[in-house]
Amino acid sequence: MNISYNWLKDLIDTDMTADDVAAQLTRVGLAVEGIHPHHDDYVLDIDLTSNRPDCLSHLGVAREITAITNSQLRITNDKGQSLKTEGQTLVTIQDTDLCNRFTARIIRNVKIGPSPQWLVDRLEAIGERPINNVADITNFVMHEHGQPMHSFDLDRLSGGRIIVRKATAGEKITTLDEVERELDATMLAICDVEKPVAICGVIGGLDSSITDSTVNVLLEVAYFKRENIRATSRKLGLATEASYRFERGVDIENIIAASDRATQLICELAGGEADDFVDVYSNKFVANAVTSADISESVKRLTGLSVETGECVRILNALGITASDDNKSFTFPSWRHDIAIEEDLVEEVARHAGYENITNELPPAYGAGEYQRSEPRKKRLRETLADMGFDEAITYSFIDTRHDGVFENVPELLDEQVEDKYITLQDSVIDGALRMRPSILPGLLDAVRLNLNFQRRDLKLFEIGKVFAAHAGEDNLPNEREILTIGVTGGEISEGKAVIVRELDLYDAKGALEAALDAVGVSNADFTAAEVKHLRIGQTAAVWVDGSRVGYIGRLSDEIAAGYKFKQPVYVAEVDLQAILDIATIPIAYRPLSKYPAITRDVSLLGDRNVSFSAIRDAVTEQNFELCRKVSFVDVYEGKGLQENERSITIRLEYRSDERTLIEDEVEALHKEILAHLEQKLAIKPRF
Amino acid sequence: MSEERARVEAVMTAFLNEFAPYAGLNLSGASLDDVESKLREVAELKIRHTGKKSPISGAMNLVGKVAPNERAGFGQFVQSVQKDIAAKIDRVEKTLNEIITNAKIESERLDVTLPGRRPRTGHLHPITILRQKIEDIFVSMGYAIEDDREIETDHYNFDALNIPEGHPARESQDTFYTTQGFALRSQTSTVQIRAMERRGVPIRIIAPGKVFRRDTPDMTHVPMFHQIEGLCVDKGITMAHLKGTVTEWLKRLFGEDTVTRFRPSYFPFTEPSAEFDFSCFKCHGTGKFESDRCRPCKGSGWIELGGSGMVHPNVLRAVGVDPTVYSGFAFGFGLERMTALMYSIDDIRHMFENDVRFLEQFK
Ligand SMILES: [Zn+2]
Repeated sequence: MNISYNWLKDLIDTDMTADDVAAQLTRVGLAVEGIHPHHDDYVLDIDLTSNRPDCLSHLGVAREITAITNSQLRITNDKGQSLKTEGQTLVTIQDTDLCNRFTARIIRNVKIGPSPQWLVDRLEAIGERPINNVADITNFVMHEHGQPMHSFDLDRLSGGRIIVRKATAGEKITTLDEVERELDATMLAICDVEKPVAICGVIGGLDSSITDSTVNVLLEVAYFKRENIRATSRKLGLATEASYRFERGVDIENIIAASDRATQLICELAGGEADDFVDVYSNKFVANAVTSADISESVKRLTGLSVETGECVRILNALGITASDDNKSFTFPSWRHDIAIEEDLVEEVARHAGYENITNELPPAYGAGEYQRSEPRKKRLRETLADMGFDEAITYSFIDTRHDGVFENVPELLDEQVEDKYITLQDSVIDGALRMRPSILPGLLDAVRLNLNFQRRDLKLFEIGKVFAAHAGEDNLPNEREILTIGVTGGEISEGKAVIVRELDLYDAKGALEAALDAVGVSNADFTAAEVKHLRIGQTAAVWVDGSRVGYIGRLSDEIAAGYKFKQPVYVAEVDLQAILDIATIPIAYRPLSKYPAITRDVSLLGDRNVSFSAIRDAVTEQNFELCRKVSFVDVYEGKGLQENERSITIRLEYRSDERTLIEDEVEALHKEILAHLEQKLAIKPRF
Repeated sequence: MSEERARVEAVMTAFLNEFAPYAGLNLSGASLDDVESKLREVAELKIRHTGKKSPISGAMNLVGKVAPNERAGFGQFVQSVQKDIAAKIDRVEKTLNEIITNAKIESERLDVTLPGRRPRTGHLHPITILRQKIEDIFVSMGYAIEDDREIETDHYNFDALNIPEGHPARESQDTFYTTQGFALRSQTSTVQIRAMERRGVPIRIIAPGKVFRRDTPDMTHVPMFHQIEGLCVDKGITMAHLKGTVTEWLKRLFGEDTVTRFRPSYFPFTEPSAEFDFSCFKCHGTGKFESDRCRPCKGSGWIELGGSGMVHPNVLRAVGVDPTVYSGFAFGFGLERMTALMYSIDDIRHMFENDVRFLEQFK
């Protein structure tokens, strides 16, 4: 909001410079964002907080300055303008709940014309455009007193009188901005005997507005219920200087002063004569008070500031908050809608006593701090993935509805009990992004695409974040689960080298996921071949921990990859991190170091290429030979020299005893027995 | 004896003749192969002239032929010739070997400026990095880290925070709603309420997390961002503790010379309320950096960071805490804005685009 320095000086006696005023106002919470020269004036750009509508005027800002400088306001309006008419028929208010006070002043024989230079200067300084003398005066008084008002051409009011009522649904009015607007039954309108002539507290009608030929003026100054004005303004999609002030709250007790000020100026500058005045004030203002046993002590208790009672009372009084004789009860003025409790008084005192005078202290020592229970493990997970070349992504939690049903979600996220399984926003600020994501993949794949578009083809990305789904619980609060998603494509990068070391494949994604799980204390994850709708058949695995399925990993299906225009394979994994973190980590069980050497045997087994490594490993371990300690993977071979459906898989078996050194012959016998079992069970046998 | 001596000298002469090509050997510009073949020739020469069957070894037999009184002298003479021959050959062999060794070392010289063999390391998101730093500071100051739901009821997002129905902050078009009528939390203050319900008071917590506001994305706005909110409730807590705490963590993050400034403000859930600024980390409050207007603080010397205040009594009452017995402070600020200021990032939307060229700048 713009405030003119010269205008302020009309209202208060001060020798402060514009810079001083700006600094002082900022100090007490009226933040001055800028000072701009305008002719011989300075304009202060004040960023007001929403609780201080009383400062949306020069009078209000001047009042703050009187509290700062301990000075007095100059009264700007003359007394005795008001002439009440008895038994009036000029104004009827049908809805006194929504229109608490309404005044009308008739001013006759005005001459509409341009405003004098001083008025033009005042308005132009604060960025207002002069129109004509009457319109400028109502605008001027609004910026001086903070009270919006409206002037009608009396002769254009059908019946020559005013009725304040709720509009009937569908009633229309063309407003000053030349837009025809349809009203509904909740909106309060100022009407003549036929039709609405203004929308209360928002904007006037075009037909009854002041024109060059206007002679007689009806000046309306009123108070409307704040909530109703806010609702009307929202529904019409129309915010005006008037609605802005009315919905925050104007000073109901200052209405006559404002009306008189405008009347006086109109008579003076437009040659009018003040005539009838009507004040319909049905809901009289009742000043509220709050008690404070010891205001000085309360200020100390909440802020640490020592301010003597006398100074507290002085500050409050300068702001219009009057103290009782014993300084234990404080009455709020009609312009402060934001004060209700003792803490509000404390703030008034503290901001004027100065936040800069509050000392810096640390609260007394207390218990030890703590991270969230899962944070240390999540930190290790993040670091592990980063060490393996992964960059951490954060994508929006809302995604496009076109991703619905395309991706399989982590197990048990979607509640089969509810019909509408997803969480949907009423509206969004990003086109189509109405869905609270049930999967991080759409966001992560967008990031992959963005990077590919910038010629970064070798990518390893991960994100940790929440996904959402509807939940049929007692309170229906959505299901929120924290998950981990990774995406891998392109080649393995060596730092400082222009070309990749090799192309990445499924096993890079799997290795990263295994390392990530290991980092959070899960070293026994199982991977089984699976079919998942967004992943390619034959390159997909379900991920299991402790017998529960926690997610999946695989190569993005050709169909989805084509949709993203990916020309290279993309491998992804998504797992329920929350479920994984809930699994108790296995404590370390130390085993004594063996004194005896191990004997290892590598064997290449030829068989059908669908016989999996895990099937082979299980077939060895299920035989429970105490001396066979370990089965590990060496290599696979397919292609030249083998049938199309064949492969050769080389494994290493390790034999060892804790009691003695094994002899070759017994190992050989055992090894043969194991191989015989493999051949019998899986139809695979040594290749050489 | 002179006859025998002459025969020994003849052996020497014959050797010297044969050795002559190697005596003053000039190998500059010779290839490694040349040097190696020379070495082989010298090795043959050595066998012929120093072995048991060499002429000089044969000359030892002459010792018996000279007069007994001259034998000792003659023997010494033969030995000295023998030594001389061996020494000459050894010297050449040594030189050749040195040349070969040096050539081999030279041929295996490495370019130590080539990059080391190192897999690329990844990068944590700048928001994670800053969050972890701030969490570390507050944990060391005795605070517990808390988080909670991102989709909330109006009760937690508004009512309990002293934002009743009809309040402008509630009706402003800032909040996202689900079709079921739940709010995406518009500030992490919701965690204050849930944490106080869980833990009771006294309490000291820090709540980092995602929040959502209906802002159309542009250079300085994003509809989702991260906030960190602090809360301390105990007996006897004042605004002095708020100022001290905020100043302390900013000093730990930006250095001992950091100072703070608190300005009166308004938030529904605090009373009194304050906004806080800190002295610019780049220009240290001078407003100038390398004689130009400092960018992060726009030349003011101050960086506006967040909001704070004494917890509103209605908020304490909402969780069953008696505001006449307990008081507390709360403060909050946005991580994206802070990150953008710290690194002069002109477009805040980069935070959620996940362009690797952006991410890999943060360590
Ligand atoms: Zn600076």
